[in-house]
Amino acid sequence: MALPKRIIKETERLMAEPVPGISAVPHEENLRYFDVTIDGPSSSPYEGGTFKLELFLPDDYPMTPPKVRFLTKIYHPNIDRLGRICLDVLKSNWSPALQIRTILLSIQALLGAPNPDDPLANDVAQRWKEDEKAAIQTAREWTAEHAKKA
Amino acid sequence: MKFAQEYQKHLAQDGYPPHWVASAISYRQLKKCIKKVQKELSELGLDGETLSEALRSQYVLSGCENGSVKGQFVPKLLVAVDEATGEPLDAKLAPETRTFLQELAVSQQLSDTRITDVSTDLSSRRSSSDDESSLESQEYRTIKMIEVPLSSDSEFFSMLQDELSGLTELQEQEKFQLNRQVLALSHAVAKITESSSSKSKHDLQQWRKIFELYLSGNIFFSTAEQDHGAHNYAKAHQRLQKFTKDLNSQVKMTVFKRKESQVFLQQFLSINLELLQNLKYQEMNFTAMNKILKKFDKRTSLSVQPNFPPTLSSTLLSQSTSKAICASLSTSLISLIPQIDDYLCPVCFSLAWRPVRLRCQHVFCIRCLIVLQREGQDHCPLCRGCVVIEADVDNLDDDMAKFMRKWFPGDVKAKQKENERATAIDLYGPAYDTKCCVM
Repeated sequence: MALPKRIIKETERLMAEPVPGISAVPHEENLRYFDVTIDGPSSSPYEGGTFKLELFLPDDYPMTPPKVRFLTKIYHPNIDRLGRICLDVLKSNWSPALQIRTILLSIQALLGAPNPDDPLANDVAQRWKEDEKAAIQTAREWTAEHAKKA
Repeated sequence: MKFAQEYQKHLAQDGYPPHWVASAISYRQLKKCIKKVQKELSELGLDGETLSEALRSQYVLSGCENGSVKGQFVPKLLVAVDEATGEPLDAKLAPETRTFLQELAVSQQLSDTRITDVSTDLSSRRSSSDDESSLESQEYRTIKMIEVPLSSDSEFFSMLQDELSGLTELQEQEKFQLNRQVLALSHAVAKITESSSSKSKHDLQQWRKIFELYLSGNIFFSTAEQDHGAHNYAKAHQRLQKFTKDLNSQVKMTVFKRKESQVFLQQFLSINLELLQNLKYQEMNFTAMNKILKKFDKRTSLSVQPNFPPTLSSTLLSQSTSKAICASLSTSLISLIPQIDDYLCPVCFSLAWRPVRLRCQHVFCIRCLIVLQREGQDHCPLCRGCVVIEADVDNLDDDMAKFMRKWFPGDVKAKQKENERATAIDLYGPAYDTKCCVM
């Protein structure tokens, strides 16, 4: 099936005017599949890390949201062991006017503002609530260990 | 190559009009002037070394307060002296200089007009002199600042200030002139857009392409997330060249059907070139000014650069000209011709044909709206208002449809076809799309 105009336009713009701190490159053999990297926001425990993600645009995109998953291990209350992300705009609050770039920005913002009250990784969220300092320290260590720039 | 030579070369060879060259900062004269200042200072025994190391002095440019300038400003060198004796408080001065300063202090105190009273907290002042102990023992000895007249220094600054105000004036003139050109051109192009002859319609599409390229070229300013803001000369130059190249390759110049259009395009290009030249000239003068101030500081040790009123230097640096002209280009000229980017459906990113305006005033193409309704999505994709399901034929925006037909006939046609194809697929299933048309 031919690639919809919308996906072509989004990809072109992502290439021509990349979002600072975020890159998204489509696979040559499947233009609906993107390799994504997001830089950890400054003054967050993920600062200095570069996180790899995969992003897939389903057939009925933009009527349904893109599927996004972290590939790099990350210690975050809203991201589970498999890299799945708990973010409203990726699920119930998706709108077809949102785009790849806006979604990736939301994910970057989620790194800067973890929300342990709406957890996906229960153990992480619990620790985040009980001892935030220690949790942040762990997040920092994981970032240094797994998300170091190549 | 020395800067002075480089500067002269640029002035002579970069094709500036003679009155621009005449108004440029006269780097050489200012440099000579610095030599005079240096000479004057060393005659007073206040050579660079003394000033930077030993002197308890203040150097101010009076006449400028809080960075703004009122009239001519005069540089003043203030030296601390003992109030009672008029004796300079720095020990490292040569005897002659001390005598000179003392005499100066006495005469100034006699006339009493030029004494600047500076209540200074002595203990907080860093003193490298060996009379520090005596200062501390006489704790409340007050000091006065006396003013050392620096005539050639004043000359330097009045010269520099004259040049800067001349430059500002020149810039204003250029701005005015360019603006007039833009307005005249807009007026002329507007006439073409109003006419309904088929030739004009054809040219409109050409202009649309040209402006589309121009806008996406981000020539003088960038709107991209990564490098937004004004461009310097080198970048703008490069961008403008790219634009011209794209223009030649993508829009055939010969395809204008009305002769005026061709002329207007040349005018449009020349306005941009002139703007670029302005930018270059500004940058060059700004560099010259910075260099001359730096030289001044280095030669005299009077640190003027931090004192120099920012308002003066910023008139040179500011992209006010390019900003104003670009603004006027986009408001009066480019806005004459609607750009398709402003009429896209936010869901499919193609022309929002046929346009449906929801109760929340957001516009989508009919195709995307049908899909949304079929999926049972009631929320407007832009504002999440519950307005999608209720939409019906009354929501078709006929005025906008008319407008789109006028300005984007090609895109309307293409989208119409696409919509029909999608509807057919809905009706007959995906088999409709296979390219077999032998029936």
